Amino acid sequence: MSALARQQQALLDALLAWPSENAMKNIASYVEDTRSRGLKAYQTNGHALAERALAAAYPVLAQIVGDESFADLARALWHAQPPLCGDVACWGGGLAAFVRASAQLKDVPYLGDVARAEWALHQCASAADGAADLQTLALLTTHDPQQLRLQLSPGCAVVRSAWPVASILTAHRDGSPSFEQVGEMLRVACAQDAVVWRCGLRPGVRLAVKGETELLLPLLRGESLAEALDAAHAVDFSQWLPMAVQSGLLLSVRREPEVP
Amino acid sequence: MRSVSDATAGHVGVGWRHAHYAELLERSPTLDFLEVHSENFFADGGAALAVLERGRAQYPVSLHGVGLSLGSAVGLDNWHLDQLARLVQRVDPVRVSDHASFARGRFKGATVHAADLLPIPFSTEALGVLCANVGRVQDRLQRVFMVENLSAYLHWNPFDGERAWIETEFLTTLARRTGCQLLVDVNNIYVNALNAQLRDGVALDPVQSCRDWIDAIPADVVGEIHLAGHCHVSDAHGDIVIDDHGSRVCDAVWDLYRHAIGRFGNVPTLIEWDTDVPSLDVLLDEAWRARTHCTDVLQLLTRPTSQEGRS
Repeated sequence: MSALARQQQALLDALLAWPSENAMKNIASYVEDTRSRGLKAYQTNGHALAERALAAAYPVLAQIVGDESFADLARALWHAQPPLCGDVACWGGGLAAFVRASAQLKDVPYLGDVARAEWALHQCASAADGAADLQTLALLTTHDPQQLRLQLSPGCAVVRSAWPVASILTAHRDGSPSFEQVGEMLRVACAQDAVVWRCGLRPGVRLAVKGETELLLPLLRGESLAEALDAAHAVDFSQWLPMAVQSGLLLSVRREPEVP
Repeated sequence: MRSVSDATAGHVGVGWRHAHYAELLERSPTLDFLEVHSENFFADGGAALAVLERGRAQYPVSLHGVGLSLGSAVGLDNWHLDQLARLVQRVDPVRVSDHASFARGRFKGATVHAADLLPIPFSTEALGVLCANVGRVQDRLQRVFMVENLSAYLHWNPFDGERAWIETEFLTTLARRTGCQLLVDVNNIYVNALNAQLRDGVALDPVQSCRDWIDAIPADVVGEIHLAGHCHVSDAHGDIVIDDHGSRVCDAVWDLYRHAIGRFGNVPTLIEWDTDVPSLDVLLDEAWRARTHCTDVLQLLTRPTSQEGRS
């Protein structure tokens, strides 16, 4: 390993290792400032950045656990799973598994699913834009569903949960349902599936309607409309279709090229 | 009119941050360019990119990165360079820049990114790494890149027998070898000088050491100047000056800016403000000050002497 690589690894160890005592002793042999005031400045900056980045991706989870606990959580994740790339918006995807594995958070068992849903929203916000082409809806009346694919909104995802995750998110984001109602849902462990999608540039989340999860999952895998409808016996497609179009969930219908 | 194009008028832009996205587009103030952080627009789509494209329709845009990690011994991140190249193609910026720093390296068996502007030693090896990485960026982007001097909060000990370069010599050599330009952050120079005073505990004159720094940089390699505020932190860990971009430019840095314009000429100047972002009016007032200082210095430089006036 070159001298430069050794220096850089020593500094990264000092900033990212936790606890950092050994790393701090190691870096002391490489730098002039033995008081480590500068190192403290870099550590502080890293922690502040971790809190800001995680709060941007997980605003509801931050509200649930409170500022102090969330700051602790951000710092712990920063040291356990440092960023892998230079776009800090990409960091934090491991939070769901991290909170599920946390002994301190075991009395909040739904947090992991809240984190999964918020990460889906975070990714949805930056997904490649898609353009609606409503004229293609006419294909639904002229072609066999086996030949058709539905193009869903950018970043569309379904988050299945044994907890009322959709209601938890909409209660915090939109004020509905009430927190009292959400509390009751949590008490009876009400399972919910959340649909994440983008209406234009604005990401949204809502409770999946009856049978919608079974419809969307095959569509998101790229399967045909016929395969999706076969899997989704409970969905009322005639009701779902206008709702999906109006909300921006469904952008267009595409006909598969015929195999000769 | 969005910009001022007189040869003796300052060429000034502001850092365009989230708090001012809508207001700046609505008010459309007179500015010569907007600067954004490249990494904030690496997404495939979404609202941020849409806003940037609207801003680009009204102003020239300068892309300033904080994550390329040009000084990393492990090399550049191909993904990062791909995203930057895509963004450059999308917005056709007037300038593209990043820092003489590192953030990528090995940690617990993986290559990680510390998401900070960590200092590199001014060693021959680091210079070689920096030159190779900057060269790779320029080859990929097919344009002249700019590299900014850092505010550094620690200083590397040179290894035995290793040449310790002076920072200005190190950066000038980088520019000469690669053909890149330097982005001179005047506030960073001043912060480093203040911290050197704190660290060494001697009666250094920070302003004079900054003037010496500026005088040691050849004018032809400087492509942009950055100005920002800093803060003094005194706590249980000790005293330090932090380049937090969270306040107005201080008087000493304005004086140094005038010195820099006198030396480098009419170089585009950016007002950065990233912490406790103020109202847009305050930011624009700082830009106005920069333009006034710059124009004043340029007019003094071009004004005929009294003897010339009589002849």
